[in-house]
Amino acid sequence: MNAFFHSLRKNGVLWITILALVAFFVGAAHGMSTKDWVITLLRGLSVGALTFLVASGFSLIFGLLDVLNLAHGTLFMVGAYLGWTVYVRPDTFIDILTPAALLTSGFVLAPLWTFLANRIQIQLEGRLKRLWPWLGLLLAAVILFLALSRYPISTWDLENFAQSPGTYAFMADQGQRLQPAPAQFVGISPALDIAGILFGSLLAAFSLAGLSAGRQPVATLRISWLRVGIFVLLLAVGFGMYAGNNLLTDALNKLDTTWLFLIAVLVATLMGFALGVLMESTLIRPLYIRPIYQLMLTLGLSAIGIEVVRAMWGRTEFTMPKPALFNGAGEGCPATSLSDWLAHQCSTILVLGGRVRVYNEILIPLVGIVVLIVVWVLLQRSRLGMIIRAGVQDREMVEALGINVKRVFTFVFALGVGLATLGGTLAAPSLGLSNGMGESYLLNALIALAIGGLTSYPGSAIGSLLVGLMQQFIIKYGQIGIKLPFLAEPFKPTPPVVPASTVLLMVIILLVLPQGLFGRKE
Amino acid sequence: MENLLEIIDIHTFIGQYHILQGVTTRVPKGSITTLLGRNGAGKTTTLRSVLGLAPAGKGKVIFKGREIQGMRSYDIAALGIGFVPEHRAVFRDLTVEENLKIAERRKGDFLRKQDFIFDLFPDLKRLIRLTGAHLSGGQQQMLAIARALVADNQLLLIDEPSEGLAPVIIEHMISAIRQLSADSTVLLVEQNFLVASQLAEYYVIIEEGKSVKSGKMADLVKDQATIHRYLGAA
Repeated sequence: MNAFFHSLRKNGVLWITILALVAFFVGAAHGMSTKDWVITLLRGLSVGALTFLVASGFSLIFGLLDVLNLAHGTLFMVGAYLGWTVYVRPDTFIDILTPAALLTSGFVLAPLWTFLANRIQIQLEGRLKRLWPWLGLLLAAVILFLALSRYPISTWDLENFAQSPGTYAFMADQGQRLQPAPAQFVGISPALDIAGILFGSLLAAFSLAGLSAGRQPVATLRISWLRVGIFVLLLAVGFGMYAGNNLLTDALNKLDTTWLFLIAVLVATLMGFALGVLMESTLIRPLYIRPIYQLMLTLGLSAIGIEVVRAMWGRTEFTMPKPALFNGAGEGCPATSLSDWLAHQCSTILVLGGRVRVYNEILIPLVGIVVLIVVWVLLQRSRLGMIIRAGVQDREMVEALGINVKRVFTFVFALGVGLATLGGTLAAPSLGLSNGMGESYLLNALIALAIGGLTSYPGSAIGSLLVGLMQQFIIKYGQIGIKLPFLAEPFKPTPPVVPASTVLLMVIILLVLPQGLFGRKE
Repeated sequence: MENLLEIIDIHTFIGQYHILQGVTTRVPKGSITTLLGRNGAGKTTTLRSVLGLAPAGKGKVIFKGREIQGMRSYDIAALGIGFVPEHRAVFRDLTVEENLKIAERRKGDFLRKQDFIFDLFPDLKRLIRLTGAHLSGGQQQMLAIARALVADNQLLLIDEPSEGLAPVIIEHMISAIRQLSADSTVLLVEQNFLVASQLAEYYVIIEEGKSVKSGKMADLVKDQATIHRYLGAA
């Protein structure tokens, strides 16, 4: 209690601001019927939760790494497309797993390659010493190109409407999954092709190690069992997916869409995590001392990401069907209670008289809250979280304690990207898929972070919530109008006011609290 | 006597500035050695070069008979070096307990050492739930030293432990550092000659990035001319 009053005295402005915000939204809710404000509140929570998934990752990365990841919105969008692919086209997903696993496998054994390359460098003389890694890389590139381009992957066809992503999505929504014939090897034996990919990966990783070999002598081979384990696992996935391709595709196609959606969310999150590891270790890490280059890099990556998505999934917007659990209609719907909803798997449920979409307005906020709590516990209760919180303040001191901060950096970056792709997949069934969905959410997230305080984790949650609520209340008042004392007609905010309102909220809060609600004073 | 740490003619560049231009020091096992010199002479940089935070471009750093220059900071620290930086660098968002626990190198380090640490700094036990931001300067200094004691460190690098502290607290700090030097070796940077002379057994004077004089503290205290020349008024 004492601590409470202490903080009240010290952070008077903060408390007054929070009270004012609460009063503002209570007032806004008061002007509506119960039915309306329940829906508006839940929609605000939904937008807030999606914004939070972008904002929290962005703020974690900025807080620890000092990197403004402008590609974060694009990664959110990429997550949506990845999730969609697993969900609507499991066959494509299974097809890709084999080459992807084999391609990665070689690089996992990096310490082995560094050791071997050092041995070779000692033996070689003259020009050959510098040349062989490049020759190796060239050969690997040719082999990989030939092998990968011949590996059959059944996919959609952007040119052909009957096989476009939109058509597949539409048919899946109708409960009829189109099942195109599995792609076949043409003009090459499967064994040769797969061996080619594996060999190319090993050669590429080896040659890459050769490029930097000789700078630091490596006397003994140190390779952890974890790496060997991952290598074996990747081989198992690669060959297993090839052998069981049709079986697995059939199984996934027959699976209840709720489970399939869960798999899609997990896969998209993990792929985002892997993408984050790759991005941080290859592109971001060399640029920690050059902040301007980072901005250019992440902005460039964002543009590249959008173009890649356009090339692979097309410019046309399409939808992602909702999982069966949230898609029921007809008898017994809208549900009146939770058990009722479970029984009929309705898409809508009645809450205090308002008709609420279960997926958009209940599930998404719930996932947002779960992620909020899980990451919060990770940050506050685990040793890793302790290192992250300490590293945000003073990286060097953490390193001086004997902790490899670099690894923690990679993890945090990957976690941030994983949260963004999770958000993207989660958003897809409610927002649909479009090339531009990332930008608007990045903007939302930036405003939320400015409101909440750039590097504060609770701040990112509160900021996102405020942005979501603000937008939805303005949208709702755009329909019903605000009765203002001097106007005869109720004032109806037009749609362009919606984004402007969040910016206005940000400006007001920053005028009162320049660091945002929970930001630290510099 | 056996040297725990040897610094042999190190040169350190920070950006394009040639900060250390040949520092040579020996730190005998079980002793307190202090680096003396005017502001900006390169005392702090010497500590940072040992730990690889400002890596030496030339020269050798030998710890426990092993060359450590060029190694990564976290690997150097893990060999058994504790660091108490200037301005203490206590983690503000972490509680006192977390500030200590983060320094664990093996699970349970803190549990094993906590009696020793709380005997040395009884105040910390009382403050264990507070975050670093709520501590006073003296308490932060205690915490920073305690943090360096959690893992099994044979060498402690302590930078300006008395800076900005009240005399009473300095007294306490001196007795604490003396006590802990019973089983670990200390390389100290200390501006306050009075404090340094009470603590250290050996001294090294650094001027303009070079080590210019070293020896026993007991001899230096008598040598007013040297003190005046290199350190100003004592």
